[in-house]
Amino acid sequence: MAGTVTSSRGCVTLRGAQIRDLLDAKHNVLFDCDGVIWNGETAVTGAPEVVSLLKQRGKRVFFVTNNCTRPRENYVQKFCRLGFTDVAEEEIFSSAYCSAAYLRDVARLQGKVYVIGCGGVMKELQDAGVPVVEEDSAADREPGTSIYNCPLDPDVKAVLVGYDENFTFMKLAKACCYLRNSECLFLATDPDPWHPLRGGRITPGSGSLTAALETASSRKATVIGKPSRFMYECIASQFDLDPARSLMIGDRLETDILFGSNCGLSTVLTLTGVSTLEEAHRYRDSEAPEQKDCVPDYVVESVADFLQALEE
Amino acid sequence: MAASKCTRLSSALSRQLLDSVDSVLFDCDGVIWRGDQAVPGAPEVINSLKKNGKRVFFVTNNSTKTRQMYADKLGKLGFDATADEVFGTAYCSAMYLKNECKLEGKVYLIGSNAMRQELEEVGIQPVGVGPDPISGVQIDWANVPLDKEVQAVLVGFDEHFSYMKLNRALQYLCNPDCQFVGTNTDTRLPLEGGKAVPGTGCLLRAVETAAQRQAQVVGKPSNFMFECVASQFDLDPQRCLMVGDRLDTDIMLGSNCGLKTLLTLTGVSTVAEAEANQKSECPHRQKMVPDYYVDSIADILPALQA
Repeated sequence: MAGTVTSSRGCVTLRGAQIRDLLDAKHNVLFDCDGVIWNGETAVTGAPEVVSLLKQRGKRVFFVTNNCTRPRENYVQKFCRLGFTDVAEEEIFSSAYCSAAYLRDVARLQGKVYVIGCGGVMKELQDAGVPVVEEDSAADREPGTSIYNCPLDPDVKAVLVGYDENFTFMKLAKACCYLRNSECLFLATDPDPWHPLRGGRITPGSGSLTAALETASSRKATVIGKPSRFMYECIASQFDLDPARSLMIGDRLETDILFGSNCGLSTVLTLTGVSTLEEAHRYRDSEAPEQKDCVPDYVVESVADFLQALEE
Repeated sequence: MAASKCTRLSSALSRQLLDSVDSVLFDCDGVIWRGDQAVPGAPEVINSLKKNGKRVFFVTNNSTKTRQMYADKLGKLGFDATADEVFGTAYCSAMYLKNECKLEGKVYLIGSNAMRQELEEVGIQPVGVGPDPISGVQIDWANVPLDKEVQAVLVGFDEHFSYMKLNRALQYLCNPDCQFVGTNTDTRLPLEGGKAVPGTGCLLRAVETAAQRQAQVVGKPSNFMFECVASQFDLDPQRCLMVGDRLDTDIMLGSNCGLKTLLTLTGVSTVAEAEANQKSECPHRQKMVPDYYVDSIADILPALQA
């Protein structure tokens, strides 16, 4: 097409003085967790020191994760365990915490939520004071109860779907029944189709369960987690954030980097997790405008690359 | 493209239409029965067609019954039918894996006992049918023991669908050489009494999303359903009539295979939807316009009995 210039903006490998300049310009640093500061139960080498030094330099640090399997207090324990000192609960924003915040503060839910999710989500909802329909209730075990005639709670005004290792057809059928009422809210914790585990293995993610429910109900879920803006708005509602002075560091182009773009933040891709440099280049070289938003401004091998600039 | 389409089938047109075909293919749910009840007049229509020398076939996306189970249901409802006239996706998926995929190995099956039986009948061994609850911790799931002989994953309707099954399917599908087949993409499974539950399409979407792969789909509107019948019974598409209640499966299949198509209004789709498709500029939607429509297939009975 004549006149079209393929932007080669983005994917700049950060080195030395550039890192110092970037950090000088930013007051807030948002970190994804899995694949950025830790992998499973192992901290990324240098990550605890980077976080510590950023705070010593007066930066504000936040952790923004789509992983909804733990409540915030468990995350605090994990941070401790992995050598990150003085990470406060208030700095941690998981999709479970933000889903509960959304229901309480944005939707102002008057009623119960039917949850397809795990312990982490349940705990955050409980802490936020959002009433949840009891699962595995005695009614489900009554003889004759099946997917064809399961009892419904009339107080349900929202359905929340996320990662659930106890997902069953019955839960899918029930959630679908609740969603027939167009007034019933439909939320998903995050869109991730799979989650990485140790050793390059993967396990089905919230996105796959959400896809099943969207297909069953012919409705689209409101997604709380990255790349949706809500988690950023959740942080911004509690802390005063200037997007121009904020930096997002992540490992997944379609969630972390797109999230950063959507919120007007500068973005750094680290190569210690899911996405590769080749994938970043493919987005950069693509013609499609929406793919451009997945292109990171900067790339580092690991967050440890920030150490030298911080230690000076 | 026919100049006139989406025409109400009058008695005169019925006689003309029936004279122009040798075989009639019927969808089941919403066409000849609804749940456990025959559509009034439907058994008489099928039986009269046969008396008039027409061949009759039953083509359904429902994967929960074997051909024999369908034949039993047909018999109970007063239809004169045999198992070899029935083409459900349990049977057709087994044929697809055997003849199209040329599968030599086992299949990881998310599906019913009916699907298991149809697979075993063609010599394919399925693994995984039945309840499969979660156990252990997260890292265990990525390391579930995989059967090395599994060369394909097949997804059909499964009321025992669970996270563990989704996980196992994902682990198998991480191998790009493992084939990925789905029975159909219908989002709802109709039940007795007009109720419905989430359909196979939902389960398939879950697996496709986790694996970031697209399944080969056997059921309507895929041509395979017609080819399966045609190859066994030597059918001439131009002398075949497809009767269905869904524009996006039955009528689409008919259009794609060059069959004449008849929409019956006892099921899902409406005339308004068909006419909207007809007026649209979109070639895809144009394939979802029937040649004719009737309120119920009982409407062709007078022409048959004349």
